[in-house]
Amino acid sequence: MRGVPRKPEAEGALGRARRLAWISIVYILSTIAMLFPIMAGSQALKTELSGELLSLIPPSLFLIGDRISRREPTPHYPFGYERGVSAAYIGAATALLLVGVYLLFDGAMKLAKVEHPTIGGFPMFGHTIWTGWLGIAVLLWSGIPAHFLGRAKQKCAQVLFDKTLAADAAINTADWQSAGAAIIGVVGVGFGLWWADSAAAVLISLEIIRSGWSELRSAVGDVMDRRPQTLDERKDDPVPDRLTDFLQRQPWVEDVIVRVRERGRELTAEAHVVPKADQVDVNEISDVGKRACELDPRLADVTIAPVKELPADVARARQPEDA
Amino acid sequence: MLRHWLVFPALLLTACALPRDPDGTSARIASSHELRVGVTDSPPWVDAKSAEPKGIEPDLVRAFASQTGAKVAWSQGSETQLVKSLHDGELDLVIGGFDKKTQWGSTAGVSQPYAEDADGKKRVMLAVPGENRFILALDKFLTAHMRAASGALA
Repeated sequence: MRGVPRKPEAEGALGRARRLAWISIVYILSTIAMLFPIMAGSQALKTELSGELLSLIPPSLFLIGDRISRREPTPHYPFGYERGVSAAYIGAATALLLVGVYLLFDGAMKLAKVEHPTIGGFPMFGHTIWTGWLGIAVLLWSGIPAHFLGRAKQKCAQVLFDKTLAADAAINTADWQSAGAAIIGVVGVGFGLWWADSAAAVLISLEIIRSGWSELRSAVGDVMDRRPQTLDERKDDPVPDRLTDFLQRQPWVEDVIVRVRERGRELTAEAHVVPKADQVDVNEISDVGKRACELDPRLADVTIAPVKELPADVARARQPEDA
Repeated sequence: MLRHWLVFPALLLTACALPRDPDGTSARIASSHELRVGVTDSPPWVDAKSAEPKGIEPDLVRAFASQTGAKVAWSQGSETQLVKSLHDGELDLVIGGFDKKTQWGSTAGVSQPYAEDADGKKRVMLAVPGENRFILALDKFLTAHMRAASGALA
């Protein structure tokens, strides 16, 4: 199957990830529907609502991107469509970042202007109860199931090596933090601390900015062909080193530089090889290329280019420590 | 184990005491027995031509005040002046035929509607912003009025 790692469990994980994306969308919409009528004058609830609206983007992009990215390459798009999702992510992450900055400014202004949030009564089932209690209930609904949804997504992301899914999962898992901040804000208002609401809103907007920034960095890195990184983006992915070692071990190879790019869930590698002799066997190259592909289930293609000497630009890709 | 059983009613008691007013409006009205209300002429909701305002909204305000054991101290002015006084905490309530989508939504505390017009506009009052205990009491009163009115129609 195109666009998923060659692992027996990958297709199952993809199906699960799609289901989780749909569940996310319905769940987020339910939160928005409940939050909208009760947000009243609370800046924290307004910020939380904006955050919820923005969190509709990653699961939607996952579903759309999953369809587009697995299209076959065409003469017009000879490398296929995997990068379409990365391009869309740059837009989504920029939106996240900008809205986060706007909300930060908005919340900070309300603090500076000493605006007291109005949270009054809400008519319900023949009673009028304090809207703050309803806010807290909706915030619990927005924070607790999200945590488990995030953990389930994380498992699929690990099988699929899907960075965007992993980022979405991380945001879901951390959702209880912003929901918790908003709850503290609303309870604070209940105790007559007017500033608690805007202070919570500022915290939530910082969280939105943080996730926007990390998503933007990862999407830009993707489009710029940054060296592949592990799923959590903490370390370099070991695949380029393993490919280099593998090729270096071939008896006919004098020197090699491997450059690997991430294309969605797949990896594509390019190896410039300086052979020991002037003649190289084409069969040998094809065979080594095929075996190199089997080093990792994500490797879709390994191109081996035999050269007399390494081009200067390619040589710069070598890690300084093994230079 | 017994301690856990005591925590729950304690929480409930705290919950009933919420929300509180940051600037103590409810407590002030309870001790001074005075509800400070701004009126601006807006027939048929408010007729502010005489010293003692007449109309649907002044009647409602008087009923709300007597429920809390207070008398109404009226002051007249333009919408802008009154909303500013409201925001500065010099008034508790402003009436003048405002509807729920009023332009003052971000400066004043908009109450729950007490009536709905034939054209779907919801009639509200403007309260001192952020004095949530006071506003909740007002909302309870207005919502009850709204229910009684729609019950009477049906």
